[in-house]
Amino acid sequence: MNNYILLPIIGIAMLLIAALISNIIKYEGGANPKDPKKRKVVFWLFFFLNPAVTYAIGLLTSPESGIAKTKHMDSLPIGLAIGVVVYLLVGFVISKVMKNSKVGHWF
Amino acid sequence: MRCLESFVHLCAIGMFDNQEINVLTLDTDATNGNLERVRKLVGLYSDIKSGTTKDGGTPNHNTFFSAKLNLYGFYTDYNSTSRSTYRNISKLTEGASSKQNKMLSDLFLDNNSVQEFNLAHGYRAQTHLGSHLMYHGIIEAARNLAAGGDVSNAERDLDEFIQKISKAGEEARVFIFGSVFGGTGASSIPVIPTALSDAMKVRSQGKSPLDVTKVKFGSTLLTEYFSFKKPDQAEMSTKANSVIADSSFFPLNSQAALQFYQGDPTVQNAYKRLYHVGWPLESKSMDKNSPNKTITGGATQKNPCHFVELVCACAAFDFFNADNLKAEGKAEYLFRTGEFENGAFNFKASDLVGNQKNIDERLIDKLGAFLSLAHITLTKNEAGFGNKGFAGLRKQLEQNNIDSYSTVTDKELDQLDEYMRLFGYNFDSSNNFQSGWIYQVRDSLQPGNFIFANAAFSKSIKELKGLDVGKLFEDENYHWEKGGVFSDTYQTFVKSLTKLSLDDSAHLVNHTKEKFIAHLHDGIMASQSNR
Repeated sequence: MNNYILLPIIGIAMLLIAALISNIIKYEGGANPKDPKKRKVVFWLFFFLNPAVTYAIGLLTSPESGIAKTKHMDSLPIGLAIGVVVYLLVGFVISKVMKNSKVGHWF
Repeated sequence: MRCLESFVHLCAIGMFDNQEINVLTLDTDATNGNLERVRKLVGLYSDIKSGTTKDGGTPNHNTFFSAKLNLYGFYTDYNSTSRSTYRNISKLTEGASSKQNKMLSDLFLDNNSVQEFNLAHGYRAQTHLGSHLMYHGIIEAARNLAAGGDVSNAERDLDEFIQKISKAGEEARVFIFGSVFGGTGASSIPVIPTALSDAMKVRSQGKSPLDVTKVKFGSTLLTEYFSFKKPDQAEMSTKANSVIADSSFFPLNSQAALQFYQGDPTVQNAYKRLYHVGWPLESKSMDKNSPNKTITGGATQKNPCHFVELVCACAAFDFFNADNLKAEGKAEYLFRTGEFENGAFNFKASDLVGNQKNIDERLIDKLGAFLSLAHITLTKNEAGFGNKGFAGLRKQLEQNNIDSYSTVTDKELDQLDEYMRLFGYNFDSSNNFQSGWIYQVRDSLQPGNFIFANAAFSKSIKELKGLDVGKLFEDENYHWEKGGVFSDTYQTFVKSLTKLSLDDSAHLVNHTKEKFIAHLHDGIMASQSNR
């Protein structure tokens, strides 16, 4: 599959995993609940993991040789950048739209 | 006073929605520990309801603390030497008729004991003396008020209370809490309707008499349910202590009192409803903390609450909400019973309030919701361990971008924490568990049960830490859904809390603190509806 499509999809998948983990983190009681901070950490952890995972998948899906490989490798950084931007942008939008939910703690 | 404590908690859970209730505490012992405790409780309740001014707030709808309470306090003053005993108050040796007065007094009241004991700690189960003196105390206050001049705060409070009854006229409903076996309550129940009526006549100098037959009076006929150490001869050696109530006579006192209430036409005509409340099991000992001395009253008399006092509060609920109270005629005598098996009671909500119009479900919902709130604040948010529970809840809302309650002050949130500790529990600075009202009520029922599961009343820190705030009922049908594999019901509550939008007008709330309380109420109700 084209890197310009695959890598943003992987970015979205990473975002969904971050959202899932954020939802699993329980609301804590007490005067200083730490749960919002934990969710924020999860979001940024996946933000930094995203390029690494995306790059690894990009390598794994690369054709073995020839012009196809060159094209694939050339599009990898751009797809990767798109994936990161998509992760950040969609994450920001979701966080603001669902500001009273657990993912609202991301921003 | 402990019946009133239960009544205030019923108001706090929201059973007296959108009502304004005037409370008059009547005691002979202004320093009594139970009186002080209930006055503190009502004061705290009013502070919680108040906005910027200390006016006790306004009645609200479908929320916690929804009734407005106005507290008045009247006590007969027996502290000075000239008023410390019946003999001193009556001035038996003075006046032209002193001989006749003395003979009449000796006929009804024992010369060496009843006429001589110190009245500062109440009437000490001498009901005949108590009725006479309580009536006298109220009429004396009315005379003072009519004369003007030096009027005490207690007399002013009595006056305001009587004016409220007078203003309400035929709509007025007055419910009197008191036992029939002890001193002050037992003495007061027979004379209060007449005393208030006569006081009104004296106060208004006959111009606007309160027609006692128009006002609807109700009361409990509460028979013995607690005991204390039998006083020994050494304790009774002084004249001031020549009479000390002996709880071994309470069953006999109760029996005699019930015969009186069954047959006395004055009582039958003055009251519209009389609720029989009794405890057929062994009376609970009240002097575990002072095994060597009989506590006759004073600041040290702070006894734990009992289930029958909750029953009495529910009787008041029934009386205030009854839509078929007879306007005239003799009193109705009412009672309910509960399931009793294997030496223990297993009470249902309908045993307390009946089941007309699903009122038992309402009690379950409201009491369950407030107990959940208690565990949310005391256990989950650690107010029971000296931390700030409601501040934690507000922070939870702020972290979820709901910051409309930032103007509620820390002091106001502390008051809410304090109320929940009085309702639920508290660990003191030495980590000793202190039972609040609902724990005390539950303890008094043991080994019996009432609606809730044993886990809801844990006293162990470890168990409390693992408590699920939406699973407090014995019947699992009332448990909240936990909303996910890795979730618990506290998560359901916070999710409900953060999702809902508060309808101020539906709750009749006016200031931010009331809105905050209504928001928490709705959050719990939404969690309950997920069950």
